Amino acid sequence: MTPAEQLKGSVLALASQAHRDDGLTALRQRALKQLQLLPFPEKRHEAWKYTGLTALTSGQLETAAAPLNQSADFPALGDCVIVIGNGFVPEQLPALPDGLTVSALSDNEAGEVTPDTLFGWLNSASLNSGLLLKTERNRKVAGIVHVVFCNQSDAPCHASNRLQVELAEGSELTLIEHYLGSGPVLANALTRIQAGANSKLTHYRLQSESADSLHIGNLQIDQQRDSRVDSSQLMRGNVLRRNDVHVRMLESGATLAMRGVFIARDKSHIDNHVNVEHVAPHCHSDQVYKGIAGEKGRAVFNGRIHIHRYAKGSDASLSNNNMLLSNEAEIDSKPELEIYNDDVKCAHGTTMGKMDPAQLFYLRSRGIDESTATRMLGTGFVNETLLAMQDEPVRDWAISWLGEAL
Amino acid sequence: MLEVRDLHAAVDGKEILKGLTLSVKPGEVHAIMGPNGSGKSTLSNVLAGRDGYEITAGEVLFEGKPLADLATEDRARAGIFLAFQYPVEIPGVSNMEFLKASLEAVRAAQGKEPLDAVSLLRRAREACQQVNLDQQFLKRGVNEGFSGGEKKRNEIMQMMLLEPKLALLDETDSGLDIDALQVVAKGVNALRSPDRAIVLVTHYQRLLDYIVPDHVHVLAGGKIIKSGGKELALELEQKGYGWLTGEEESA
Repeated sequence: MTPAEQLKGSVLALASQAHRDDGLTALRQRALKQLQLLPFPEKRHEAWKYTGLTALTSGQLETAAAPLNQSADFPALGDCVIVIGNGFVPEQLPALPDGLTVSALSDNEAGEVTPDTLFGWLNSASLNSGLLLKTERNRKVAGIVHVVFCNQSDAPCHASNRLQVELAEGSELTLIEHYLGSGPVLANALTRIQAGANSKLTHYRLQSESADSLHIGNLQIDQQRDSRVDSSQLMRGNVLRRNDVHVRMLESGATLAMRGVFIARDKSHIDNHVNVEHVAPHCHSDQVYKGIAGEKGRAVFNGRIHIHRYAKGSDASLSNNNMLLSNEAEIDSKPELEIYNDDVKCAHGTTMGKMDPAQLFYLRSRGIDESTATRMLGTGFVNETLLAMQDEPVRDWAISWLGEAL
Repeated sequence: MLEVRDLHAAVDGKEILKGLTLSVKPGEVHAIMGPNGSGKSTLSNVLAGRDGYEITAGEVLFEGKPLADLATEDRARAGIFLAFQYPVEIPGVSNMEFLKASLEAVRAAQGKEPLDAVSLLRRAREACQQVNLDQQFLKRGVNEGFSGGEKKRNEIMQMMLLEPKLALLDETDSGLDIDALQVVAKGVNALRSPDRAIVLVTHYQRLLDYIVPDHVHVLAGGKIIKSGGKELALELEQKGYGWLTGEEESA
């Protein structure tokens, strides 16, 4: 058996063990059937060319994570906090702001979900419990909702983290999904967001697990007519980090602003695959992703924009700017455009460079030593993007947290 | 304070300075004038220690010590300030954050107390006012989106805060309108003192109407070919650089 076949065997065993009769039985069974059909990702598959999964041979797919008694510390960024330890949604949920309801996910709501990767299906097939957030029509949810996924274990294990968000027509929500914790646990995250007509979502996806942990995530956002989504995705590297972000602009007039910062230092690995589909006409998407890799850090960025045949008047842009801090660091960036309509405005660009020697000289000529100057320039490079984030507590925390990595 | 002795310097293996000698004492203001390509910018960059500018012969002493032994940041800490001809833009690093890091480093090296946040901000605001820069510039990225004149005034503002022993102004007057030039000159004149030296590197005599130098040097072909008092600048203005270089050149 090849390593991939062995890992596939572990995936199926993990999924089978999760079987039980409760509100998610149908979801698990449907996902298990899909898993049986899907191959385990290997480097010969284009989408996994730069990200090997050998790290998973140390046993993450053998064992399901046990419930967690106590969460790791986290910064107070939101007004309403929900903590989910190792994927177990607590029975007691906190008091919620007006306009928001929260419940455990069941087959009724999760039935339609079609994950983008094998790991997304594994999330469903081995799901213990998931969190469902729903806004009320035409209501603005006061305050920031902070959903904390803490995954922690001393031994290798697998934890399905699941979040589903449904924004009703005309509602507004600010949401932080925050991943943290430590140890050789694989956080397998699946987040699905449905932005209803004319709704507005401000979304932060923070991945601040420690360097010894693993994360494979799938973020799906579906946008209805005139919905506005602003999503910031910030992460530092760890043993293995992979995100598949998939946005579908399904009805006209939707707008999307997405930004991301990824910093891979030492031997860490970060892979972001982003796919934005303009399915309907007159939608606007704007994406800025910034990457930094230092030492033997490795980052991958694949940004795809797909303009469908009937999506006339689409306006889409994507930029990915990268900075390499050492000769051994590597960033592989690939923008992809697929356009099937002539009446569109579409721009994409990638830059890759070292620190600008003229900028470095300028700072040094003012007495600032080289290592401080390097850190200032790295911080400046990402702060340009972070400053576009609207919520001050998150922005301030992010600037200092990412600054620590530079 | 600054002794440049038979300095030869090369950029990318090409010799630009070919035996430059210059002596600057505390309290003096020197103007170095010269046509395009004479080596003016090379001199500034060599003194500041930019990578790629190599001293091939001769030496430069600052307060008796060889400058070549000092890294760029250590030159600044020792009291040398270069006002850039083309200040770079650094988006994402705020002017205030930059000034704080710079002042902390330079003051610490000079054994001065670090400034607390309030005094720092007060001083920065005063310096802005002196060069007619709106205080909003402190919050913006370093030189980000600044006009040419604003960039030059930002250089002078930094110089006022850093209070260097030796200030080198590399074509700070180029591209400035007269109002902005007066502002810059006012800032420089305010810094004149018996223990500070100022070297103005310029293409145009006009600056010297506002900052009156003690010595004027003409740089051509990588050497100083003539030195004199302030009247030399006026003579140059009338006769053009061709008068000294023997070439057709419109000053």
